[in-house]
Amino acid sequence: MRAKTLSDLLKESDRIAVSNITGREASKVSIDSQSYCNNIVGGWALGKGGQKITCGKGDDIPVFANCADLMKGLPPEKHPNKIVVYSPPQAVYGDVKEAITYGAGQIETIFVITEHVSVEVTAKIHNLAEAAGIDLIGCNTLGIINAHDRIRVGAVGGDDPDESFTPGSATIVSNSGNMVNTIASYLASAGIGTSFGISTGKDTLILTPLADLLQLAQKDKNTKAVILYVEPGGLYEAEALELARSGGFTKPMVVYVAGGALEGKSVSLGHAGAVVEGGATSASAKATAFDEYFGIEPLDIDKRYRKTAELVSSLKRGIRVRSLHYIPAATQLVFRLLGIERDTPVKRKMVLNPWFVNMQDWGKRIPSRLILTPGKAPEPWGGQFRRLIKSELGASPSRRAMKNLSHASSNDGEVTRIHGRDLPELMAKRSFAEAVILYWTGEEAARDFEPKLVEMCLIAALTNGPGTISAQGAKLSASAGNSPNTAMIATLAAIGDFHGGNGKLAVKFLANVFRETPLIDPYDPDHGLDIEAMALETARKFKKTKDDKKEAGLDYERIPCLGHPIFNTKEVNYDPRERVISAYLAENGIYNVFLDFYHKLAAAMLEVGAATKIWAVNLDAAIATVWMGIAWPRLRDRSITFNRAADLAFLGFALGRVAGGAGEYLDHRDFGTPMDMRIGTKDTTALTTPKPLGKP
Amino acid sequence: MPVEIGELTFLEQLAKQFDIPVPEHLAADASRSEIRSALERWGGRGIVKPDILAGKRGKAGEISVVTTAQEAMRKLKLATTVEIKGRTARTAYIAQYIPSEQEVYTAITYDSRWLGPSFTISMTGGVDVEQIGDAKKKTIPIDIFKGLDAYQASDMLGSLGCPQKLISLLSRTFVSFWDMFITTGMRMAEINPWRITPDGKIYACDFKGVFDNSNYRFGEYGRNLPEYPEGKTELEEDMAEWDAASHRGQAHVADLDGKKVLPILFGGGASTIIIETLLEYGGDPIFLSDFGGNPPYDRMYGTIERCLKHKLADASLLLILGGKANNTLIDVTFQAISDALRDYCERNGPVQIPVVVGRGGPRLVQGMLTLRKTLEDLKMPYVMFGPDTPITLVAEYAARLADVAGRKSLNDAHDKPFDNTHDRPFDNTHDRQEQKI
Repeated sequence: MRAKTLSDLLKESDRIAVSNITGREASKVSIDSQSYCNNIVGGWALGKGGQKITCGKGDDIPVFANCADLMKGLPPEKHPNKIVVYSPPQAVYGDVKEAITYGAGQIETIFVITEHVSVEVTAKIHNLAEAAGIDLIGCNTLGIINAHDRIRVGAVGGDDPDESFTPGSATIVSNSGNMVNTIASYLASAGIGTSFGISTGKDTLILTPLADLLQLAQKDKNTKAVILYVEPGGLYEAEALELARSGGFTKPMVVYVAGGALEGKSVSLGHAGAVVEGGATSASAKATAFDEYFGIEPLDIDKRYRKTAELVSSLKRGIRVRSLHYIPAATQLVFRLLGIERDTPVKRKMVLNPWFVNMQDWGKRIPSRLILTPGKAPEPWGGQFRRLIKSELGASPSRRAMKNLSHASSNDGEVTRIHGRDLPELMAKRSFAEAVILYWTGEEAARDFEPKLVEMCLIAALTNGPGTISAQGAKLSASAGNSPNTAMIATLAAIGDFHGGNGKLAVKFLANVFRETPLIDPYDPDHGLDIEAMALETARKFKKTKDDKKEAGLDYERIPCLGHPIFNTKEVNYDPRERVISAYLAENGIYNVFLDFYHKLAAAMLEVGAATKIWAVNLDAAIATVWMGIAWPRLRDRSITFNRAADLAFLGFALGRVAGGAGEYLDHRDFGTPMDMRIGTKDTTALTTPKPLGKP
Repeated sequence: MPVEIGELTFLEQLAKQFDIPVPEHLAADASRSEIRSALERWGGRGIVKPDILAGKRGKAGEISVVTTAQEAMRKLKLATTVEIKGRTARTAYIAQYIPSEQEVYTAITYDSRWLGPSFTISMTGGVDVEQIGDAKKKTIPIDIFKGLDAYQASDMLGSLGCPQKLISLLSRTFVSFWDMFITTGMRMAEINPWRITPDGKIYACDFKGVFDNSNYRFGEYGRNLPEYPEGKTELEEDMAEWDAASHRGQAHVADLDGKKVLPILFGGGASTIIIETLLEYGGDPIFLSDFGGNPPYDRMYGTIERCLKHKLADASLLLILGGKANNTLIDVTFQAISDALRDYCERNGPVQIPVVVGRGGPRLVQGMLTLRKTLEDLKMPYVMFGPDTPITLVAEYAARLADVAGRKSLNDAHDKPFDNTHDRPFDNTHDRQEQKI
């Protein structure tokens, strides 16, 4: 080994380069690493040179076509001294060879993260690295973390290494990458921090054998004890114990050997190298070898250990545990009896702490001792839950590549379906509005009046006269000689946040008002909410913000969809189109809490002095309340996203208006003259004076 | 997963190609007259062996020496039905009996001591290598780039006291053995014994090999290998095919023939530990699984869909458990599990077994909320733990709950006092370990 101590494998000043950095795994981990320790200077990926990996926190990472380009392209002070290999198995040999060739004299350590590298290639890259005096970790390592320097390579610690790793006195060496993280978090809860967390990988050949790592740990001043997670297969532990017996490693070890209970069962464990070949490589043989070296039985959790010279002498070598969650207790025992101080106060106890429990009917049917009392999710998770539950009304589905996937529609070569329902059947049995509700929300209308309301909104959205900018869009397009689809695009292009898009803001506004209430059914008049009081409070808040902003000379945010440029001349104003919807609701005994709120808000605005008359609840508000009525139960049971609910109102308007635009187009195309929408030069006014061009 | 081959494949395919001398042989479907004339040619003696991927055929009494065609036919028929350690024979064959005064052991494998290939020879062949004393065998590292050369082999043979007249021939043959090992992408190969006839001819008389299926060289040989009856369960076969379909995320399953806990586990290490804990506390896990390695949504969905399809109906508890993931995205994996569970229930009706969940890692909170919502919608009882509860404690709790859930009538469990003889109560209010030590 080139390294003399653990920090030679990884320390603060190291500069990391990553192979195949544009790969799914490599790019994600690299971005997380930059955010944690910002130690990646560059990466390479065949055929992808010239790109950049953008990192939210930390430096962006330049991507080169290959290792040679990277060494040429980076300034000398940024030349890497560590390489992380994320290449696919077929490319590992080539990439390691490249790194050794072009990084000669500079590269100190290569970490091979890749899984499924053949044993032959593993042996070959070991040979090359040995000859070049480079340390190779892997293959199939997850990486290494140096908690004191707050530096890592690979994915150790996931997207938030601070969650598990606090600087401390235990070094974890594990055949399983996951166990590095898991054991570190167990130890942290017991007040023991980490010096180094090392994932060795568990392929047939582990290129950094345990004995080598123990020699490095021996010289690491922060390491007071080494925690080992060991699997069957290989003779690495036997060699390590030989080293310890000969005095080459003298720090205590706490050891967990996995796989004993499965011995004799012909099942293959998860890791490629966890294969018993010869008696000495079995879990039980390894466990016995450790116990013999320690000279003490594995930790008995119910035993009171009294400090005797013999016990202290054994614990100086270490102790084995039979269960993973005894590791903290065993380490505490070692620390206490050897007089090593804990790194931090004990954080939390290692007990069953269920975050969520709902035994349904089972609660009555199983022994009471198996029914757990829900505990509290500790920080940082508790805060994350609170934020997420509060902020995310609606579903928060995980994302994936949707290129050739769709929930919305399907076609199996015979039948087209919308969210699983046959299109021909929909044609025969449903209205257009019913099909749209299905397509947009994923479910059929929950109430029989909903399609009628949607249809009324569609009609209302058709037009508000030829002067509206969306109708103008269609007319401009017709005047230019465009085809019908272009004219419809022009209509749609002329709606946005200020025209037609207000419904989207109304949905967001309503969601903010109702988010904290227990409201489930928006059509239930016995909702138990004091809508008048809610309206008054909203009006008061608005007035205060408005007054404060006005005082400061700033613009303020209006309440969306309240008031109308035309219907505003009376003491009490109405938008006649909204009136039609209200009348339909009243005639049919249907209640809509959102529309009710809007009207009460209009009255409250006058009452608190935020308005001088009762403003009209306009059509956009009516459309928003109709779609919010449909969406709300789905938001509550988190079956649709909040973004979708907000878009529904906007889309409802756009769908009606695009048909209206088509009407304007047809009319203008048949009766208009070419370019009749043009404004003559004399009718335009210049706001600038003529100026000569400057010299080139 | 490693791919093994036995002697018959070696006799039929590899020995010829790599010029390794082997006895003549006939397949089980040889006619009586073919066997008769072969026996005449072989000096009146043949050996009947089952073609089976299990060692110690001789010890199991499944190898017989025959002298007549009639006896050979009978033994061949019997040998095709042999079962050793749960493995069954694919076919059987008869090989020429090689009279010998000297047997030699050889093996090539990758050695953790040198982190490269090694070659072992012993002049005491025909027995297990572990029974050969250290003084009687010799192992040397092989340079992976240069390979084994005849001089190295002859040095070893010399130091082991091999008769001078055999050294040259054996050394050259061992180079062919290395050639076969490296050219076909093997991980381990053993020829034991080589039998040396009184007139100085050598024959490879038994063979066992393991290919490294991560090695691209294995690919072309792998296509021609015979399929052995592996005794795989339907789920194992289904999963093996699914696992091989992509390298993104693990889909490893090994059937344990259990009856209680259906364990959806993450991480090679964690899965081993969890299964051990379940076994220890009577959880009787249905299989061992490892679904870590950051599987994308589709991969995870397909994996869970298969597990549920094959095993959920038999299970009394669903356990979804892993350590604190470093790179597996919990929201993606839990969304896929949720969707697979919903789809299963839609197809097969509601499932009334408890679900125990324990997990940590990136985007945990989002994943937990998704899964919780699904379990609420499906009205399945659940307990969910975060990474602050050790996986072994969760597994122990799940095992005990499964034990109760698995009883035919839950009223039984209610009437009888719960077996509390060998454990402490599930006290989640204080830490006993902390207090004791």
